[in-house]
Amino acid sequence: MTRNLRLMIACVLLTAAPGAAGAETPAANSAALFSSLERSAGGVTTLSSDFVQEKHLSMFKTVMSSKGRFYFSKPDRLRWELTAPVASGFVLKGEKGRRWHARTGRSENFQISQEPVMKLVSDQLFAWARADFTWLKREYRITVLDEAPAALRLEPRSGATAGFLNHLLISFSADGRYVKSVEVHEKDGDFTRIKFLNTQVNKPLKAELF
Amino acid sequence: MPAPCFTLFERLYRHLSRHRKALYAATLLVIALACFAASRASIQEDIVAMLPDDGSNVDLDFRLMQLAPFTRNIVITLKSEEAGDTAKLTAATDRLAQALTDAGAGKVTTGPAAMSGGLFGWLGSRLPNLVTSQDLAKLEEASAGPEVRNRLRQSYERLLSPEGWAVKGSIQDDPLSFSALGLEKMRFLNLIPNMRLVDNHFISQDGKSALIVVESSAAMTDSAASRELMARIDQAVAASVPAQMSASVVSGHRYTLANSETIKRDLWVVLTLSGVAILAIYLIFLRSLSAFWVFLIPSSILMIASGAIAVSQGNIFAVTLGFGGVLLGMADEYAMLIYFYCRQGGKDPATITGEVARPVLFGAAATMISFAVMLMSSLPGQRQLALYSMIGIVAAVLISLIVLPHLVKPAPEGKLPVGKLDLGWQLPRRAVLGVWLVILGLCSWQATKVRFNGDLRAVSMVTPELLQAEEELTRTWGDMRGKALIFSQGKDLESALRLNDRLFARISDRVPAGELVSLAPLLPSEEKQKENRERWTAFWSDGRVERLAGDLAREGDALGFTGAAFTPFLSTLTAPPPAATIEGLKEAGLAELVDSLIIQSPGVVRVLTLVPDTPQLVAALSGELKALPGVRLVSQTRFGDSMGDAIIRDFSRYMTITSLLVLVLVVALFRKPSRIMLVLVPVATGLICMFGIMGMLGLEFNIFNIAATILVIGICVDYGIFMVCRLSGESDPAASRSVLVSGLTTLAGLGALALARHPSMHSIGVTVLLGVGAGIPAALLVIPALCKREVK
Repeated sequence: MTRNLRLMIACVLLTAAPGAAGAETPAANSAALFSSLERSAGGVTTLSSDFVQEKHLSMFKTVMSSKGRFYFSKPDRLRWELTAPVASGFVLKGEKGRRWHARTGRSENFQISQEPVMKLVSDQLFAWARADFTWLKREYRITVLDEAPAALRLEPRSGATAGFLNHLLISFSADGRYVKSVEVHEKDGDFTRIKFLNTQVNKPLKAELF
Repeated sequence: MPAPCFTLFERLYRHLSRHRKALYAATLLVIALACFAASRASIQEDIVAMLPDDGSNVDLDFRLMQLAPFTRNIVITLKSEEAGDTAKLTAATDRLAQALTDAGAGKVTTGPAAMSGGLFGWLGSRLPNLVTSQDLAKLEEASAGPEVRNRLRQSYERLLSPEGWAVKGSIQDDPLSFSALGLEKMRFLNLIPNMRLVDNHFISQDGKSALIVVESSAAMTDSAASRELMARIDQAVAASVPAQMSASVVSGHRYTLANSETIKRDLWVVLTLSGVAILAIYLIFLRSLSAFWVFLIPSSILMIASGAIAVSQGNIFAVTLGFGGVLLGMADEYAMLIYFYCRQGGKDPATITGEVARPVLFGAAATMISFAVMLMSSLPGQRQLALYSMIGIVAAVLISLIVLPHLVKPAPEGKLPVGKLDLGWQLPRRAVLGVWLVILGLCSWQATKVRFNGDLRAVSMVTPELLQAEEELTRTWGDMRGKALIFSQGKDLESALRLNDRLFARISDRVPAGELVSLAPLLPSEEKQKENRERWTAFWSDGRVERLAGDLAREGDALGFTGAAFTPFLSTLTAPPPAATIEGLKEAGLAELVDSLIIQSPGVVRVLTLVPDTPQLVAALSGELKALPGVRLVSQTRFGDSMGDAIIRDFSRYMTITSLLVLVLVVALFRKPSRIMLVLVPVATGLICMFGIMGMLGLEFNIFNIAATILVIGICVDYGIFMVCRLSGESDPAASRSVLVSGLTTLAGLGALALARHPSMHSIGVTVLLGVGAGIPAALLVIPALCKREVK
């Protein structure tokens, strides 16, 4: 479960990350790249984006696609909304959260601190959004694959996480302010790709979204 | 004509008067050797001294109660003034836990260890070993076509959600959530009723409090170790708990410390007061340098009795030392009698010694009988106390009769300070007897109201702070330490678990939902696991697996799953599952819980089940469980009742036998009925008044009152014997003076304990104050009033 949680967290974080990075790299200029990404992330107050998720899982006959919307507002608000094939999602607002599911018609409030999964998700999600590179350095070895636009490869440091998560591939927008795509590669060869489209930075977001 | 045994002391005096230096040297040597032996003794502080060791239920129940979860641990509640911010609370909890660890307080737990996915995986893979027939009925519903469609769709949708990253593995292993049946069994492991887990921390339902459990190696009965441990904990709390939060600590160590501190304070107050009072009594009534020797006798006896116990038994119970020291406060009455007769003079000291030997030996014999009866007690502490007191009395008599007469010189012209003290011979007889009878009547009536309290906590110091912390603990977390315990005992784990299975089957329907704590649903015996497996196998035979595979293939295909997606899952339905074991449960994150509920010692394994400790349920289960040999129910409330019964039983036995033996002794010594009645006046008056006033004031009778009552009997019988022994129809100034002064010193020394805050010391003080306080006037006033008539 821990391994799965960490995988989930890593992926969710990366999908929502407003273009931040920073950690070890053998490249001499990686420090400058991380600083640049950090600065860019620091200037982001809101993000809104469509996303398309492709699941390349051996359990499925074909690639399973889904799509949805993602919103983030500093310092602690986030909405992840799946619109197809099933409408569902969750909102995080500080310590509180709410999830819903259109098919079952169920909606429920929850305390993030009472749900270990959501707690870890939100902690790390917001760590990315706030450009908390201390955590990233602790959790991952980061390799710079490309500098313009920035592309990073993240390998988990923890043995337990590395037991099933092979690596993450993150690519940023040209200006480094937000993430354009995330790939999560598992040990068994399965992987998931999420592409963020129509991303808007610092656009005012309606309060009712959260 | 004096009896030979009394003239023995007269002859001994004459002989030793020629060898006084040798006598003093030998006495000092005996005391010095006793001091040395006493210093080598180890002091046993635990409560075992006051628990029956006769193999009765009380003894065993108490030992088993110590095995209850949290009983031996330090439980800390960290409380925040603001609700809602659990992040701050858990962060503060972690800081305090770290500070406690750094301070060396012990093993600190703030939440279940490694409570991660391991448990869910464990539950899923062991399900065939755990399912009951009721579970299979639910499984039948879950594996029916429409439910398969519904559950598979839920799994599919979870895969698409952000949560899907975490659940892919478990969906592959269990796409239809069959392992939820295993999760349901977790409800039987709720040790802390009002607790929820937040970020792997024990948090209260209102979100304001966090629980920290510390397991320390410091013995709870060791006051020095407890003091050090509590200092460390208090230091860690002071250093790490933020201003908006508070920490309350509940632990047996804290009780030990509270008791130890209270006793220290009490002793300081009581010894100061009684020291001043005794000094004043000596100055008023003795006023002589030779009185110093009388003063020294009780402390010498204390050493001799302690040394003798150390040599004969090795260990001395702390209660023997504490209480025995108090008991020997009575030792000065023999010395006092000899002192006053010697000071009064008028005769050769050898003759005086021979004459005084009679009341001293009679009195000592009566007191020895009282304590000898206590040797039959089922409490080891009381037995040792009896032996200790008997040794002390023998030593007091020997020193008083053999050594003291050589040290006390007659007062000039035989005049003693304060003049005549024999008021009893001067007061109007009818008035004295009238008042006495009225008091006796009133007290006899009120004595019936005295209640016995066997709860050991009644003789333990519970400060308002401790009481508040206990109440806070129960209010915040529920009754986590007050449950009744049911032990399933076997010679090995398997036999204990088998018994636990049978126990669970019997009581699970009788106990309200959520209030039964048992390992049986999650860790059945191997025998039960085999039975469950066979039931599981039978369930999936008869084409069920094939039908389910067909349903899964059809529904899975509609959702895009491959045909082989659930092959591993289907194969687990018919494959032999790994056994559910202690080790597996521990690895899955339930180590603390398993260790709390399975207590293993060489040759004995006990599996613990917890149920609410209500009189109705305990009574019902007590009958029910008789059918299960090896199962034992231990209830804290019932334990208190049993102790109460044991105290009443012991007390009734003591009183009956002591009364009979003392009566037999007094009859043998005094023969004449009227004199026998006179001797018994102080003791009868003392006991009736003691019980009467206790009943009047609503005071309860506890375990310490029993020993103190024996003391009252011993002292008051002595007063009667002293007054009546040399009865000639006239005043005997030395006897009256001796009874009055030794009575006053007893009241000053022991009665002052009534001022103590500690319940045990207070109990002793009250008993002695009331009993001896009534016995003295009875001896000094009533005996002369009755005696005048008797002599006529």
